[in-house]
Amino acid sequence: MTILAIALAYAGFVALCLAMERHHGEVFGTRRIPSRRRVALRLAGWALLAASFPTCIADWGWAFGPIAWCGVLTAAALPIVLLLPYRPRAMAALAPALPILGAIGACL
Amino acid sequence: MKAGFRQSMAWLHTWSGLVVGWLLFAIFLTGTVSYFRPEISLWMRPELQQAAPGTRATEVVIAEMQRRAPAAPSWIILMPSERNPVASAFWRDPTATPRGFRQAQLDPRTGGDLAARATAGGDFFYAFHFQLFGLPIPIARWIVSFCAMVMLVSIVSGIVTHRRIFADFFTFRPRKGQRSWLDGHAALATLALPYHLMITYTGLVTLIALTMPWPILTNFEGNRAAYTAAVFGIDEAVPRAGVATPLTPVTPLVAEAKARWHGGEIGRVLVTNPGDSTATITFQQQDSDRVSVSRRTIIFNGTTGAVIATREPDGPADATRGVMYGLHVGRFGGGVMRALFFLSALMGSAMVATGTILWAVKRRQKSGAGAGTRLVEILNVGAIAGLPAAMAIYLLANRLLPVEMAGRITWEVYCFFIAWAVLLLHPLFRSHRRAWQEQLWLGAVLQVAVPVVNVVATPGSALAATLPAWRWDIAGIDLACLAFAVLLGGCACMVGREAAAPRQRRGAVQSAAAE
Amino acid sequence: MEARRIGGIVSRCVAAILGGYAVAALSSIALARLGSRVEGALIGMMASYAIYTAAVIWVFAASSALRAWVGLAIAAGVFGGAFWLLGVA
Repeated sequence: MTILAIALAYAGFVALCLAMERHHGEVFGTRRIPSRRRVALRLAGWALLAASFPTCIADWGWAFGPIAWCGVLTAAALPIVLLLPYRPRAMAALAPALPILGAIGACL
Repeated sequence: MKAGFRQSMAWLHTWSGLVVGWLLFAIFLTGTVSYFRPEISLWMRPELQQAAPGTRATEVVIAEMQRRAPAAPSWIILMPSERNPVASAFWRDPTATPRGFRQAQLDPRTGGDLAARATAGGDFFYAFHFQLFGLPIPIARWIVSFCAMVMLVSIVSGIVTHRRIFADFFTFRPRKGQRSWLDGHAALATLALPYHLMITYTGLVTLIALTMPWPILTNFEGNRAAYTAAVFGIDEAVPRAGVATPLTPVTPLVAEAKARWHGGEIGRVLVTNPGDSTATITFQQQDSDRVSVSRRTIIFNGTTGAVIATREPDGPADATRGVMYGLHVGRFGGGVMRALFFLSALMGSAMVATGTILWAVKRRQKSGAGAGTRLVEILNVGAIAGLPAAMAIYLLANRLLPVEMAGRITWEVYCFFIAWAVLLLHPLFRSHRRAWQEQLWLGAVLQVAVPVVNVVATPGSALAATLPAWRWDIAGIDLACLAFAVLLGGCACMVGREAAAPRQRRGAVQSAAAE
Repeated sequence: MEARRIGGIVSRCVAAILGGYAVAALSSIALARLGSRVEGALIGMMASYAIYTAAVIWVFAASSALRAWVGLAIAAGVFGGAFWLLGVA
């Protein structure tokens, strides 16, 4: 479950990251983001970050869950910052892949 | 002083961070590993790794204390837990030097002294984290509090200085000299900002009774014991009546406590005036199943076994204190929670380290290699790269010093400090870049050496044995050492690459001018 | 010029470390009067470091060292006065 929470937060941060011109340019080669895509990325990003919260609650309960969520956000954002300058495309590609793996892992 | 709020905050951030940076890094890193204090202690006592706490630990330990210290004014016993198979007992003894205090590590199954090598274990890092070493404890705690206070000011002034927290949230531009250090420092700070604020403030709160005692003066007329009694649920000492009365059997008391706590385990036992008619027995609940460490306490009459009082957190402020303390020590929520805390704490250590490095890089670029810059650079190497190497030495000494050696506990600690002192001096005699490279590589090699020496010295606790048995508590230490080795080796490679890179960009080679 | 600058910095450091602590200590005993014996004491102690931080930030943000000291004196007066008034009441 923790893996899933981190994966969701990771995907959310990547979406927010790609909604920023400079980082969009680093990944896709162009800084221009169609405005509809930007809105979609932002919405998806916040939604995914929000989705990682109930995952933490489910895992830890209301007493520990919110604290764990803060740690989960940090753990999810760090690899993005490290991957972005070196492997920008892998960074983006992991965003859809990780939550799926996380969900499978949580089901097992 | 420069004009403008942001400029003055930038000035404050730059200098406040530097003043305490090195000590703060040591406090931060030893605190980081202290999340796994029981695991480190267990790793360092391989003889106990197969031991289980036993089900009658409270009875056994109290019976043993009646043999060992029947006339002591009080005993404090830290009970074993699922993370720690050892019971630690403390009692007053006026003949003991230097503090009139004795302590023993007991086997909770037999009550005897531990049949394990003598070591301070993880307690050394834990104690260093807030009371350093060799200094009178109040003074050391004042120094640590001062560092934490400066850290808090640095965090607040850093937030003001940084300004573009959200715009630069994901930004890290490597191989750009000063720019990269700044990016890295800012990223480490912002990505774990809630943690940094929390850990610094709660750290200060753990020592407030020492550093901010004035409300005790006004509200308790300066009677610290009354304050302790009210906050920690430990009552003021009652003088012995002088009427010898045997201690009540504890088994029914243990059952009573468990029933009242819905199965919660006993974390701490306090017995006052044992063997006297005024004896009391106090149980405090273990704090691994709640965030707060506010003691849930039951006090029994020590001769009749009747419940005298129970104590739950008093009100919102008391509950807040318990939560703050609990957040700081992070004993709740299990291994994954601690791993998350550990990661954030590691980022905090790295934030402090990159801050002091950034100071030197900037300084050298602006005003060249003056004596001040050189001094900062020398201290940076020994304080940052030297510390993890010395910490590895501490673990290695645990395996390599003879098990029967006299003064073993002290010598393990001395090995740590001797190694650290040598590494603090070493950069005096090397160029800046070489000093970094050599110490980082040395640290990497020593960290690898920990699991390797473990295989040779104590095969039973090596990875080959602990991994198949799913003993993550023990294997985790070896694996963490390997991970640290990769991290340090990676940093060493980075320093090497920077030096080899074409020196077009000023500041790209922070070390070039040192040669 | 240089001596004046350094003098200002030293003055501010003293104001921040000692003056700030004095303000924090006064705030702690003033706030300690707000709750019961235990609760009040804990509120005062726990909040004091936030006050301390704010005082230090003020000292280094003020446009001159003199202003920094004056600001601290005002804060100390307010907390000291509150402590006295709450004690009377």
